[in-house]
Amino acid sequence: MEDKLLVWRCKRGSRDALSRIYEKYKRDLLTLAIALSNDASTAEDVVHDVFVGFVEAIEKFRLTGSLKGYLLTCVANRARNANKARHRHSVGLDLPEPVSPDADEPPWSIVCNEELQQLSCAMAQLAYDQREAIMLHFQAAMTFRAIAMQQGISVNTVKSRYRYGLDKLRSILDSESKK
Amino acid sequence: MKPADEIKRLINKSDVRTSSQVDKRILGEALEHLEKLKQQRSAGTRPDIWRTIMKSSITKIAAAAVIVIAAVLAINLWNRSMPAAYALEQTIQANHTVRYLHIKDFDAKHSAEPKEFWIEFYEDGQVKNVRMQFPLWDSPDDGPKVVVWQENKAKVWFKQKGTLLTVNDQTVAELMLMVVVKCDPRLAMERLYDQERQGKVTVEIDEPSDKAQPIVVTATYLGTDSLPGTRQVVLVDRATKLVTAVEFYQLKEGEYQYIGKQEYSDYNRPIEAEMFTLNEVPADVMRVDQTTQEVGLAQGTLTDEEIALEVARQFFEALIAQDYAKAGKLLEGIPAEKIKELFGGRKFLRIISVGPVAPHPIPETRGVIVPCIVEMEENGKISEWKLDRLGVRQVYNQPGRWTIFGGI
Repeated sequence: MEDKLLVWRCKRGSRDALSRIYEKYKRDLLTLAIALSNDASTAEDVVHDVFVGFVEAIEKFRLTGSLKGYLLTCVANRARNANKARHRHSVGLDLPEPVSPDADEPPWSIVCNEELQQLSCAMAQLAYDQREAIMLHFQAAMTFRAIAMQQGISVNTVKSRYRYGLDKLRSILDSESKK
Repeated sequence: MKPADEIKRLINKSDVRTSSQVDKRILGEALEHLEKLKQQRSAGTRPDIWRTIMKSSITKIAAAAVIVIAAVLAINLWNRSMPAAYALEQTIQANHTVRYLHIKDFDAKHSAEPKEFWIEFYEDGQVKNVRMQFPLWDSPDDGPKVVVWQENKAKVWFKQKGTLLTVNDQTVAELMLMVVVKCDPRLAMERLYDQERQGKVTVEIDEPSDKAQPIVVTATYLGTDSLPGTRQVVLVDRATKLVTAVEFYQLKEGEYQYIGKQEYSDYNRPIEAEMFTLNEVPADVMRVDQTTQEVGLAQGTLTDEEIALEVARQFFEALIAQDYAKAGKLLEGIPAEKIKELFGGRKFLRIISVGPVAPHPIPETRGVIVPCIVEMEENGKISEWKLDRLGVRQVYNQPGRWTIFGGI
């Protein structure tokens, strides 16, 4: 309910409503973007582009499902494009800044906690398609069918990406716990 | 720990902090775009409440409520563009402070029996409680009914059918709030100002010299507007600057013909809490609470056609097995004892045929029909029971579940 109203208010040009949407979902959106891109700066760009795109399309936008799900899907799409672009340009990865409660927080960057760093590092070792399948399933709570439809691939392909990804994660996490 | 669980744990515990600079960087451009859009938006559209409502898939109950609320709140439209003595700001202020409202909605053809609505708002303007009373003419199939809405639950008392149905329902408040947002006076007046400038609507104000008479604001929509040929006459109380009534007219054969009226009264006169409880419902009515039970059958991977057939089949199998609890679950969640009362006198022997599925002849039901033939024994006599119009549809507000309907 609140989301529909926020979207409505955005359509009427409310800055407060847009800020509220950002505040409400930025953690989820940035977490997904970081897990997919393993790069705080790219994640920031991705979420930035998602919001710009959201506003550009706001007049025709019609909320039919959950706003969070919609924005997460946008993040996944943008992150995929960013990933492709990054590979084309062979840009190196910058790991997210670690959380360090005692240190002065750099005001210009995104600060990730330990779990997000761990998640991001583990995910970075998977093929991109596998991370996407896992994150969309877990974080965006999308069904395999929905992921398949969104990406224009078969459900079985999504399932195998997910399964292989989890298998690989098992070994990654096991080896990390032995260290 | 399984990798899936570990990933879930990591996701749940993942956190990210952003400084205000980062937030500004991420959101700044979007906010700028929003500002530009706002400035570029020309006349835009008048909040076309009527069209929104008519196109909406909401229940008739909710729609009716929204229509009246829309009319109340849309009054703000007329304010700023009025030329003169009429104290516009006072009216806006007055509308903002409404906590209680009683509305009577008259139809030209049924002027003796209005629909009635009582609404209580929270201080911040959110809807707190609603009571709606619908006469028979509004829905002959349902009969007269009373609906109360509170905390996302709607209780519907079908007086003629002797049933009290409780469902989860966000639509009532949701749509009312949508209307509130649409009719935000600041935005609405900007739109009206633009519309007037573009010649889409004309507004006339009559402030009689007799101070006892209300101010009359007549808004006529011209051919280019989304409401061509309609006219609304708004009566505003001189002392309180609150709207007391809106009359609706439609242009037919060259004349504006009266089609209905809404009266607004008892502004801010507290409504007794009892009005929103439905405690007056007699003890012997059938009570069906769909908020505390899963109704119908989960669709799973079945197609709509397959699930409709399956619901019908399982319903009759349950009757054959005399499993009245299951049959009730498949029939809108009706209690087992009521199902036993309805069907227990017959012995269902076997299903002869189920299907094929066909569209329901009343599209508004959003259901399908599943013709069925079952063999049963009644008073020692075996016969075939043919149901040509067994209706099956998705359970209201329980996505992915299907039920037989028509039992309530």
